[in-house]
Amino acid sequence: MSGQIKNMIDSIIAQKSKGDGALSQLVKTKLVLKGIDPSKFGLATPDDPAIIQKLKQIAMEFQVAV
Amino acid sequence: MSIKTAYSLKEDIRESVSDIKNQLRDIKPKMVIYFASAKYSAEKLSAEMQKAFDKAAVFGNTTAGEIVTGKMLKKSLVAMAFDSSSIEDVKIEVVENIKSDGDKNLKKAFESFEKYYGIKMSDLDYKKFVGVVLIDGLSMSEEKIMDSIGNSTNIFFIGGSAGDDLAFKQTNLYANGKSYANAAILALLKPAKEFDFIKTQSFSSLDKKLTATKADESSRRVFEFNGRSAAEAYAEALGVKCEDASNYFMSNPVGLMVDEVPYVRSPQQIKEKSMCFYCNIKEGMELSVLKSTDIIKDTRKAVEEKKKELGSISGIINFHCILRTLELDQKGLAEEYGKIFSDIPTIGFSTYGEEFIGHINQTSTMLVFK
Repeated sequence: MSGQIKNMIDSIIAQKSKGDGALSQLVKTKLVLKGIDPSKFGLATPDDPAIIQKLKQIAMEFQVAV
Repeated sequence: MSIKTAYSLKEDIRESVSDIKNQLRDIKPKMVIYFASAKYSAEKLSAEMQKAFDKAAVFGNTTAGEIVTGKMLKKSLVAMAFDSSSIEDVKIEVVENIKSDGDKNLKKAFESFEKYYGIKMSDLDYKKFVGVVLIDGLSMSEEKIMDSIGNSTNIFFIGGSAGDDLAFKQTNLYANGKSYANAAILALLKPAKEFDFIKTQSFSSLDKKLTATKADESSRRVFEFNGRSAAEAYAEALGVKCEDASNYFMSNPVGLMVDEVPYVRSPQQIKEKSMCFYCNIKEGMELSVLKSTDIIKDTRKAVEEKKKELGSISGIINFHCILRTLELDQKGLAEEYGKIFSDIPTIGFSTYGEEFIGHINQTSTMLVFK
């Protein structure tokens, strides 16, 4: 299976930035600093359980649902 | 005048503070931010500054060198005063025991901000509010604090890590007429006018990548890059001998790239072929090896562009990395750097690390007021 990571990242960015373009960039930077570079993941990226777990943790820290 | 700066080189604390107060006599300050050499007793200086500006929110920290309009100084006290036409409101919180209880105490600080402004931190408008963060520069807690701040709010916090004139013994923060170590000061500002940021670092990417394959975040130590000992991989990327690698730290740090802009991590030392940095690197992070460019040219360009964008600048708070200051000193360019800010009320200091979204090195992060 693939694509789950990208979908989770997009969802986290959309929720945390509340649809504001400037804040989307801010959230992307925060993700990179947390060790997840959104530009490295696409719909063809395999669903790596370790990264999915990390994104769940980040979502919890941001208080958003994924 | 809504924003005004002052500086003093006097040795005696009372004389220095009196000097500053005298220079700021034609402004009724709502907020005073100040930076001072560690030569002054932190406790006494904080008490005197609070007494001198008793109606204002007064805060600051010790430094490794100071910046004031048109000048780079050493062993001085510099201050910037804002009246109510420049700062509508400000609330200061001290987060103590950041090494052990940072998260818990940060939460309390945020609750206090929410109560004061009547808005949840997560709902604050990033166009109306901005945070200043000053952190104990020897606490190694900056990443954790900045990460926790970023989790709870979308407003920008910008700032720096306090210095101690390169003694590396104790840095201090000033607020409420007291001094603090193992702490962070957060000031939540509601500026009366537009504000913006400059994040400038003078590096280009060499297109050589190093991925941290074994690292310890808490000690800011990388054991392996690309599956090899960190120092060997770094030296190879630069095409130099491993034993010479430390000679390249200043000119060739590494950067976490976000849309081709580096968030710089500066190497500190080599320990048994591992590398210690002034900033943490997480396992799995891909970094670009950087090459230094011209600090004066790049900074001047960044300030001029921001001035053009905003139309005018009424004040700048400049959090300027000590490694940049050392490079400028070595090249005899400190005076020229200071002159970039000669027609803009400016205050700043040489930091032990800069804060903007996260913790970074070899950068200037600036809060710019229109």
